[in-house]
Amino acid sequence: MHELKIAEELIGIITEVAKSENLKKVTKVNIQFGKMIMIVPDVFRFVFEGGVKGTVAKSAKLNLEILPVKFACNKCKEETEIDDLLFVCPYCGSNDLDLTQGRETIIESIEGEKC
Amino acid sequence: MEIKIMKNVLDRNKNKANEVRNLLKEKNVLMVNMISSPGAGKTTLLEKTLENLKDKFRIGVIEGDITTDRDAQRLKGHGVPIVVINTEGGCHLDSHSISKVLPEFDLENMDVIFVENVGNLVCPSHFDLGETFKLALVSTTEGDDKPIKYPMLFREAKIILLNKIDLIEYTNFNKASFHVDLNNVNGKVPLMEISCTRNIGMDKWYNWISKQISSK
Repeated sequence: MHELKIAEELIGIITEVAKSENLKKVTKVNIQFGKMIMIVPDVFRFVFEGGVKGTVAKSAKLNLEILPVKFACNKCKEETEIDDLLFVCPYCGSNDLDLTQGRETIIESIEGEKC
Repeated sequence: MEIKIMKNVLDRNKNKANEVRNLLKEKNVLMVNMISSPGAGKTTLLEKTLENLKDKFRIGVIEGDITTDRDAQRLKGHGVPIVVINTEGGCHLDSHSISKVLPEFDLENMDVIFVENVGNLVCPSHFDLGETFKLALVSTTEGDDKPIKYPMLFREAKIILLNKIDLIEYTNFNKASFHVDLNNVNGKVPLMEISCTRNIGMDKWYNWISKQISSK
């Protein structure tokens, strides 16, 4: 249930930005989570909807994108996107890899109406 | 209208973790974030480690527990400072809770702090505490599929301990399959087979952790 803590932090950022930008209503929230974060989208939506009750984002639509895992091979330098979370370079078989994508918990933007 | 933010949602945790990491570096204290499922043997590993290393190093313990201080009670007899963090339902520790309890330790006179995270293989691996490294503990009674099911932890850990190796013959734990999966998730991480209760493979662990503490 790390979804709960992540949603709490997200709602904190949204309300802060909405206040400083003078928004009366947040209509959409655009976020990206890397696959390694293992967010269950339905669970995340559930806790998000619970958390935004009574806030400026209470009717906001959540646009959640899951980013695939990518790594760069330190041996042959190829970059690979994987679906199966097998951390072995398909080009040279090396397991000396650096994760280049898949651990993100990013809020890209919010959309809303000014006061 | 759209307002661009492009920010890590967990920035607050990350920033506090960096503060903790800098403080520990300044005081020359190693911090080990111990992660496993409930019942894998974190507290027993700590008991044995304290028994073996408490005369050699100045050790502190942070016990993360959802409720109760039972784990801390088990460790009490060893005469090392122990601080309990009750997460009150929370499934992981975070850097703010660690930062809050650090002043309870005499960091000037400390070599290592072991943090026993809440028993859970998912959530704790996503929250940086400011630790020097993560330790993953798994046991043969849990099944051999943990690395492939929880890749984040097994990618991030600096050391993996496979506990309850003495019980393997009573389980359907397939060592070959465990090794293949672990190799696919993280082929570079050291793995040690141990039994905390039967004292198997423990010297290798004590040597490894002593080396980490000495070379910090």
